[in-house]
Amino acid sequence: MSNHVLRDIHNDARTPVREGESNVNRVLRLFVCLSLLPAVLVGLSACGSSTSGGTITVLMGTAPDSLDPGIGATTQSMEATWIAYTGLVTYAHSNGEAGTKLIPGAAESLPTVSSDGKTYTFKLRPGLVYSDGTLVRASDFAHAIERTIKLNWGNKGMLTEHIVGGEAFDKGKASSISGIKTDDATGTIKITLTVPYGPFLNVLAFPAAALLPSSTPMSAQPNNPPAGIGPYEITNVISNRSFELKRNPNWPAHSIPGIPSGHADIDVRIVSNNQSEAEQVLSGSADVFDYNDTIPPTLISKVESQASERYAKEPTVSGEFFFLNVKSKPFSSPLVRQAVNWALDRRALDRLDSGMLQPACFFLPTGMPGHPTAPCPYGDPGAAPNLAKAKELVKQSGLAGTTVSVWGQARSPHKEFVDYYTGVLNAIGLKATEKIVASEQYYATIGNLSTNAQTGWASFSQDFPNPSDFYQLLDAHSILPKENHNLSQVEDPHIQSEIASLSPVPSSQLDSVVGRWQSLDEYTAKQAYLAEFGYDEAPKFVSQRIDFGALVFHPVYGDDWSTLALK
Amino acid sequence: MRALAHNKVALAAGASFAVIVVLCLLAPVYAKDIAHTGPTDNHITDTVKVDGQTVDVVSPTGVPIGPTWKGRFLLGADSNGRDVAVRLLYGGRNSLEIGAIATLITMALAVALGTLAGYARGLTDGLLSRFFDLVWAYPAVLLGVALGVALAVGGLDLGIVTLHSGSLLLPALIIGVVFFPYVAKPLRAHALSLREREFIDAARIATPPGPLAPVKIVLTEVLPNLLSSIVVFVPLMFASSILLEAGLSYLGAGVQAPNPSWGTMIADGIRMIPGAVHLVLAPGLALVLCVLSVNVFAEGVRDALDPRAAIRPLR
Repeated sequence: MSNHVLRDIHNDARTPVREGESNVNRVLRLFVCLSLLPAVLVGLSACGSSTSGGTITVLMGTAPDSLDPGIGATTQSMEATWIAYTGLVTYAHSNGEAGTKLIPGAAESLPTVSSDGKTYTFKLRPGLVYSDGTLVRASDFAHAIERTIKLNWGNKGMLTEHIVGGEAFDKGKASSISGIKTDDATGTIKITLTVPYGPFLNVLAFPAAALLPSSTPMSAQPNNPPAGIGPYEITNVISNRSFELKRNPNWPAHSIPGIPSGHADIDVRIVSNNQSEAEQVLSGSADVFDYNDTIPPTLISKVESQASERYAKEPTVSGEFFFLNVKSKPFSSPLVRQAVNWALDRRALDRLDSGMLQPACFFLPTGMPGHPTAPCPYGDPGAAPNLAKAKELVKQSGLAGTTVSVWGQARSPHKEFVDYYTGVLNAIGLKATEKIVASEQYYATIGNLSTNAQTGWASFSQDFPNPSDFYQLLDAHSILPKENHNLSQVEDPHIQSEIASLSPVPSSQLDSVVGRWQSLDEYTAKQAYLAEFGYDEAPKFVSQRIDFGALVFHPVYGDDWSTLALK
Repeated sequence: MRALAHNKVALAAGASFAVIVVLCLLAPVYAKDIAHTGPTDNHITDTVKVDGQTVDVVSPTGVPIGPTWKGRFLLGADSNGRDVAVRLLYGGRNSLEIGAIATLITMALAVALGTLAGYARGLTDGLLSRFFDLVWAYPAVLLGVALGVALAVGGLDLGIVTLHSGSLLLPALIIGVVFFPYVAKPLRAHALSLREREFIDAARIATPPGPLAPVKIVLTEVLPNLLSSIVVFVPLMFASSILLEAGLSYLGAGVQAPNPSWGTMIADGIRMIPGAVHLVLAPGLALVLCVLSVNVFAEGVRDALDPRAAIRPLR
């Protein structure tokens, strides 16, 4: 009998009550189970589950330009502000492509868009409050947008150029933006655009377009950032030294689906020395190495060997390239531009970037819809270059021996890129010399048309996951006397017509035009309007205290601090 | 000169400096026949045989190879895979060339203006002395950086003289101008005291009057008596010019990349110190050795030309 029961127990684990089991045995078993429970819980926590609470120290090499969402335009700024200032829409807090998906933020749902693609209608979530407890009202949106424009946010053109009345407000010709209508009673916000603009929802997802209380002053508040909607609030700002992100006490009751509530408070410190920054995270005296910073080459092997379980290289949607001014000899010749593309050893440039570059030759990076699947027209970017062909092309162009000034930034590794590139140009038959400019003045110098920069280094990171963002760098409308973005000064009718046709396509419908973006990017590569050499990778590197697996590396904002948790 | 010949330390320093100069002059020979590479040639993806093993010149994570103590990459490579020994010699050539030209400019300006101010006195002296004070008032490095940064991108175009941003003459000119008051002021004081001496009075009486008479007196009577001071200043200013050139190049206001100089080499190597200390050690030591040897030799020359040196107890 007992043998039968035993066999039954083994054969049918679902048997809830065993035959012939005494009450004493049951009590004993319960006691054993309860006494083992703490051990099991400890074991589970050691297996990777994270805990809530505590403070996590993040180190940043470069201070944010501002922690006021109406001004902050750098990646360092938005890393902090996107979890403290939620717009009508925001991005899903996910890794990879899933993170590019727009989800409703302060709005109840994604907007209804009129058939002509020019009017967006949102409805606010009812009962939302800011981190200071103030009730969120629809009219706050208009105030926030007007404030962002008045504070001269770096990308304000994305708002003023597209919203009806935006430019008039910016120029002081109107006291409000006529294209924004709000109704506090119903929570309705209606935005009218001048022409359909595909990435408009992406623009609204910027922290700069997030709602702020109407009482927020129309002046910059970098040391005392205004209240916002989000799981965190920014406090204790000491300019260029430190700031804190405390969990918003009003968030739990008003949280928004899809936005994590945050596990721990975050203490951010500015450490300008990357060596010290990496060593502190390696040793555990700090917790997070900012993804915008570079682990010094001499430390990478140490980090890879000693912290392999908490270090990874994450792809970012950004590219490094040499611009080639098509209005200036010798790059006015397609043959010379193609020669440069054939001659670049992208593996060498990867090494100069401490192995944090994915060698490539297409303008649109991997991860950006429209990145071509065709092979690179200049051979495998991960293989040796074809110098002989490059020299032959320069010879054919009849421009061998032309003098070239190569512009570069004093900062490492950008200066090393230019050192290498200058050598390549000399090797293919041109006469190249360098012009190195301090980092702070670099883009202002080369972006001034009077400088007439022939060629040089540049890089670009996505503002939002839409290829039109990248193609503004090749848009003829971007050629400006000062702050010129189209450094190669490309005015190509085919590119212009494609931009005009593809830009109005909403980001949510990009799938339908991916093929056309791919074709356009292949065309751009063949024309060699620039010499793309790689896509940046960023370090995801944390201390042993942090749950590495739980930390999301967001495709737009990098390390998602709202997913940071202690083990 | 007999006193200098007895100063063994000064002679050793002079010999050491001569060796540095010869080595730097032989840079093209070393580059072509021993290292088989130029100072700006990149070898980032190349490999080199070290003790029978093939090693990356620059590792996949960007760390350059250290000294091989062989012909190729004798003192290792930099981040761009360039031979440090070759760049060290070419950098030395650039530093010495700039130092020499800058010293020439400094001395030419200082001798001309200092003597003129001291001999002419009056309004000329007043104007020139205030001009010396004006340049003197700015710290040499700050003034050098300001001029260097301003001219580094666009070069210098004075109509008849055009210097491109990459020209070595540009830092030489900047250093020469920055330093000249440091020599002109003492020379002016010396000339001022000389013009009151009896032999100058005698020369004035003996020289036929005319517009060129003062020039003749300065050339035949004043300058020969300033010569010992000038000779002492030359090596001192040379050493100072090399140091300032290194400082300016370190800050990006001197020799322009990819042209090497000891200053730019140190600047390029700073970020690699933890894993590739040779990048700053090699140019740093070369700079110290060069400046030290010139300074010690200059001390010896000064002692030899200074009559008071004879009464010094330690000789």
